[in-house]
Amino acid sequence: MTPPTGVLEQGRLDVGLSHGELWFRYFELGGMSTALEVEAYLYAALDPTLHDRDLLAAALNERFSELGGDHPIPYSEDNEVDQHNA
Amino acid sequence: MSGVGDRAVPFDLRVSFSASRTVLQVGGEVDVLTAPGLGALLDALVDRGDSDVVIDARNIHFMDASGLGVIAAASGRLRGSARRVIVASPPPIVRRILELTGMNELIDHDPGYLQRQALGPEQRAGDDSLSVAAVGADPGLPSVGRAMAPPAGTDVIDAALRLVTALARATVGGADGVSVSLTRHGQLTTVAASDETIAQMDRDQYATGEGPCLAAASEGHWFHVESLADEARWPQFIPRAIAGGISSILSTPLVVADRPIGALNIYSSTERAFGPHDQELAALFATQASGILTEARADLTTEKVAQRLREALSGREIIAQAQGVIMGRQGASADAAYAVLRHSSRQAGITIRQRASAIVDNARHDDLIGRAAR
Repeated sequence: MTPPTGVLEQGRLDVGLSHGELWFRYFELGGMSTALEVEAYLYAALDPTLHDRDLLAAALNERFSELGGDHPIPYSEDNEVDQHNA
Repeated sequence: MSGVGDRAVPFDLRVSFSASRTVLQVGGEVDVLTAPGLGALLDALVDRGDSDVVIDARNIHFMDASGLGVIAAASGRLRGSARRVIVASPPPIVRRILELTGMNELIDHDPGYLQRQALGPEQRAGDDSLSVAAVGADPGLPSVGRAMAPPAGTDVIDAALRLVTALARATVGGADGVSVSLTRHGQLTTVAASDETIAQMDRDQYATGEGPCLAAASEGHWFHVESLADEARWPQFIPRAIAGGISSILSTPLVVADRPIGALNIYSSTERAFGPHDQELAALFATQASGILTEARADLTTEKVAQRLREALSGREIIAQAQGVIMGRQGASADAAYAVLRHSSRQAGITIRQRASAIVDNARHDDLIGRAAR
């Protein structure tokens, strides 16, 4: 029923954010999509724009930083990002 | 306040909470128009809860793929936890669609499961559950039961925020701006506004003591101004709104414990921007947000809700300003400017918001120096 877990969803699980909390952080960073749309991005049911994808990556990376980590989620300018894996 | 539209069977959602489970009674047609409302509420219940979420499907008359989609998404989010989404007592048409799509594992096969819920509100008078009429509330129905609300957390607020934002997006066809007003210390205050023009529209209503937002928040039903140019009510406020470029307004009350406590206001620069579906969506989301605010009241004051909203909105504002500074200096596009901001915040080991704040402060400083030098 659910497609394989992508980088963003895996990151969310790694830092232990609820979908609601991740959406809120994305919203604080300037994101314009609704929570339902963000969830659809995470489940690969909708394709985010590069900017939205980067905002979600940034929200997760800032959470990784708070937990003492680096920024493990790649951004669109990092060539290794596989769009289909987002 | 709702029941807008011409559906033979009105869409209806009701939520009741008890210690062991949350029951969501769904009635009417679940289709592309109503599924987003169901999905938003399921989201909130899945996120906030610590129990199974039971969808009482007895009164669903029709469900299409969009309904299936939101149920599947909610169920997927509970995967790996001890909690489940359960579809109880589905009628044959719903059962068949679940079976055809391999989702029959969600169907509850214990016919006794809903027995307690099958009792009417009168019989359940001694029950400790809290019942919130979420959507399509018929004025004749008992809306909010009293009793112990389960403890509310910040995710409840998230859910309320999500609903409000979902509304803004769902009505984006006509909506140029959205605000939420709540009563604090006996006075209406704007706790969220999509931009300064919209915040000013609310302030103009508070200043003149009239307007659709105030009317909705005090009278508890919605006020729709199709064309400000033709509007005879609120003679003080209307000219100010027209001067602000607004042509139509839809204000829907937020109601807690049967009392209106605020309003959700949608503004448009186009006349007659809001059709029956927009009104229905506004009512849907405002009523759901009300239900969630009802619970949030248990231990979260309006002040705290407002505080978090204000912080989020001011963070967005600062980031947008910094983006503008970078665009001006480097001739970059908005997205490229954001990438610069993100990159430099990471290099400095600070958050994007902190970096944005520093950029805006520096720009103000440079501007002052520049002016002094002239």
